[in-house]
Amino acid sequence: MMLLLVMVISTVLAGCSSEGSSGDGKDGGKVELQFMFRGQPQELEAYSATVKRFEESHPNVKVKMVQVAPDQYDTKLKAAIAGRKIPDVFFYNPAQVKAYVNSGVLKDITEFVEGSEDVQIDDIWAAGVAKYRFDGTTLGQGAIYGLPKDLGPFALGYNKTMFEEAGIPLPDKDVPYTFEEFIDVSKQLTIDKDGDGKKDQYGTGFNVNWALQPFVWSNGGDWIDETGTKVTVDTPEFVEALQYFADQQNVHEITPSISEAQTLDTYQRWLKGELAFFPVGPWDMAAFKEQLKFEYDLLPWPAGSTGESAAWIGSLGIGVGATTKNADAAAQLALYLSADQEGQQALVDAQVQLPNSVTVADEWAADTSIKPENKQEFLDIIKDYGRGFPAEKTYTAEWYDEFFKNIQPVMDGKMTAAEYVKEAQPKMQKLLDAAIEQEKQAAKK
Amino acid sequence: MKATTSKLHRTEERNAWLFIAAPILGFLIFALVPLIYSIYGAFTNWDGLGQMTFIGLENFINLFQDEYFYKSMYNTIFMMLGIPVGIVLALLLALGLNRGIPGTNTFRVLYYIPVVSSIAAIAILWQWAYNGDYGLVNQFLAIFGIEGPNWLQNTSTVKPALIIMAVWKGLGYTMLLYLAALQSVPKSFYEAAKLDGANAFKSFLYITLPMVKPVTFFIVVTSIIGGAQIFAEINVMTPTGGPEYSSASVVFYVWQKAFGNFQLGYASAMALVLGLFIFIITLIQFKINEKSSFDLD
Repeated sequence: MMLLLVMVISTVLAGCSSEGSSGDGKDGGKVELQFMFRGQPQELEAYSATVKRFEESHPNVKVKMVQVAPDQYDTKLKAAIAGRKIPDVFFYNPAQVKAYVNSGVLKDITEFVEGSEDVQIDDIWAAGVAKYRFDGTTLGQGAIYGLPKDLGPFALGYNKTMFEEAGIPLPDKDVPYTFEEFIDVSKQLTIDKDGDGKKDQYGTGFNVNWALQPFVWSNGGDWIDETGTKVTVDTPEFVEALQYFADQQNVHEITPSISEAQTLDTYQRWLKGELAFFPVGPWDMAAFKEQLKFEYDLLPWPAGSTGESAAWIGSLGIGVGATTKNADAAAQLALYLSADQEGQQALVDAQVQLPNSVTVADEWAADTSIKPENKQEFLDIIKDYGRGFPAEKTYTAEWYDEFFKNIQPVMDGKMTAAEYVKEAQPKMQKLLDAAIEQEKQAAKK
Repeated sequence: MKATTSKLHRTEERNAWLFIAAPILGFLIFALVPLIYSIYGAFTNWDGLGQMTFIGLENFINLFQDEYFYKSMYNTIFMMLGIPVGIVLALLLALGLNRGIPGTNTFRVLYYIPVVSSIAAIAILWQWAYNGDYGLVNQFLAIFGIEGPNWLQNTSTVKPALIIMAVWKGLGYTMLLYLAALQSVPKSFYEAAKLDGANAFKSFLYITLPMVKPVTFFIVVTSIIGGAQIFAEINVMTPTGGPEYSSASVVFYVWQKAFGNFQLGYASAMALVLGLFIFIITLIQFKINEKSSFDLD
């Protein structure tokens, strides 16, 4: 009887393992790669087409595509990693470089990238590649553990039609507004058009999670110091910028009020043409092209006390799994997805991302037939002044998320920025210390 | 002759074991092994990527000093307020449908649709309904001149909003159970009560309620177990855990720790505490049920 049980168990287990190995085996002499990715529908289409072209030019490689819904992607990927079934090629977040390198999830693909005949590494944005370099202690240096799928510079957009209707001179595309000028212009554009006592049009309406960074940075503040060990949200520069951000609603009333709308809904207002200024990412271009009934363009973010504009660049990486049996083919696929000119063109045509190739990007920016006109602003952010998110430097993002967890009272004017950061800084510091400790522990293994 | 019988027996026996083996193996592989693994994980600093190092009770010590653990526990228990509301509503509905009013079947189906629908789809639908600007709920309130809040962005309304949705979703299931229970109450009881001069309310109090008590008990126990594990609707409707973390449940926090912050050991410890909590609550309910049944007899 026991024997029977053992037999059944072994059959079941054998069933499991044979299924599990299908991703890495050789299929009739062919190399099979598993590629796990996520994206919007247009992106998925563009990626599938790119992968097909890759298969055509690499006849010995077959790519098995695993699409995962964006909100489940991280969970699925981490579950796969925990189960030691790392996909051969996969998308991942740059904030995870350290953790994945330390625990041997990512493969060092430097030799494949530098030795590639098809793709010139110099043609991919250096700032993009730097996000995936890590020498064991410092990010941005050393071996390459991935290539950017894309770079997402978050620029400020404005409703051109609204400016023209109000007779206000269009903003200069090279000189940022000062904080005061920005409030002034926004006030002029916050109006009750039909005279019913309710405002129909506002200067702006920013989401604190995604739009506070440019204000803080351009005012000389930051969430973390250069060494990545101290939380600096309690500096005067930071406090001033945060207060300025909150005052847009509570003092200057250039945004929809709390009862009128909060965070999420201002996107809808921008689409309806009720906001003068709103952040625009390259991923918005396809939707805006279809939905906006007004002209829009890009301008630099308002500049605080440093006098210089600031903005963040998001990114998603394409990495190669450390356990892959076909490192060469996997690295080639990663390179192809990141930098192949033809593949890039397909993604750019779908208007879901910027070109990774500097050559393609420059042509694209100069092409006036694609809106918005000042696409150069996106490239300027990448080339000159864009930054990564503060949490990209650290092992986990918990300390950074803590800042936003309890921020609402400040946005509602129930608490001052100074009071808030005094409370938040020690809590964030504690979580950052824990992340640093966690990193040390992981590095020991 | 003897040999054939025993051969037949043996075949039957083997088949029987095979049939039994399937669910037992399923349980071993997909429930017991992960369970033991996670209990062990609770005593390690496992990050879900590398090796597990045994760290004793450290996770538990940290856990009981973690304000977000308490907050998510509080939120979870608070959201269980929907359970009694749901039970009362379901019983009332079942009573109504049990009277044989026309269209009973249609109503049963209508109330049951949310139960079988995907929770993610429902959450997205309600997220839209709760939208402060153009949501259905506030548009409805506007008819009466009430300016509704931005339900999911407000610390004081986000939990009630989630409760309302959960009650709505669970109503059909509870109602159907009650309906079955009501139909199994012998009509003669009511007739006897009527002869003794009991009014409708008294019959309800002294016949209906005690007769459906086992069902009530079942619903209370399963709802509390389910309620303690609420996750999907929170994850879809308030992906950051709500304003000031006011809608995060324990399972949501466990998930954030495990998959957002590489702290699978800590998350396992939390899951273990939650599991114990559910076990104790259920045990207490069984004890209370035993006692009160005894009293009734």
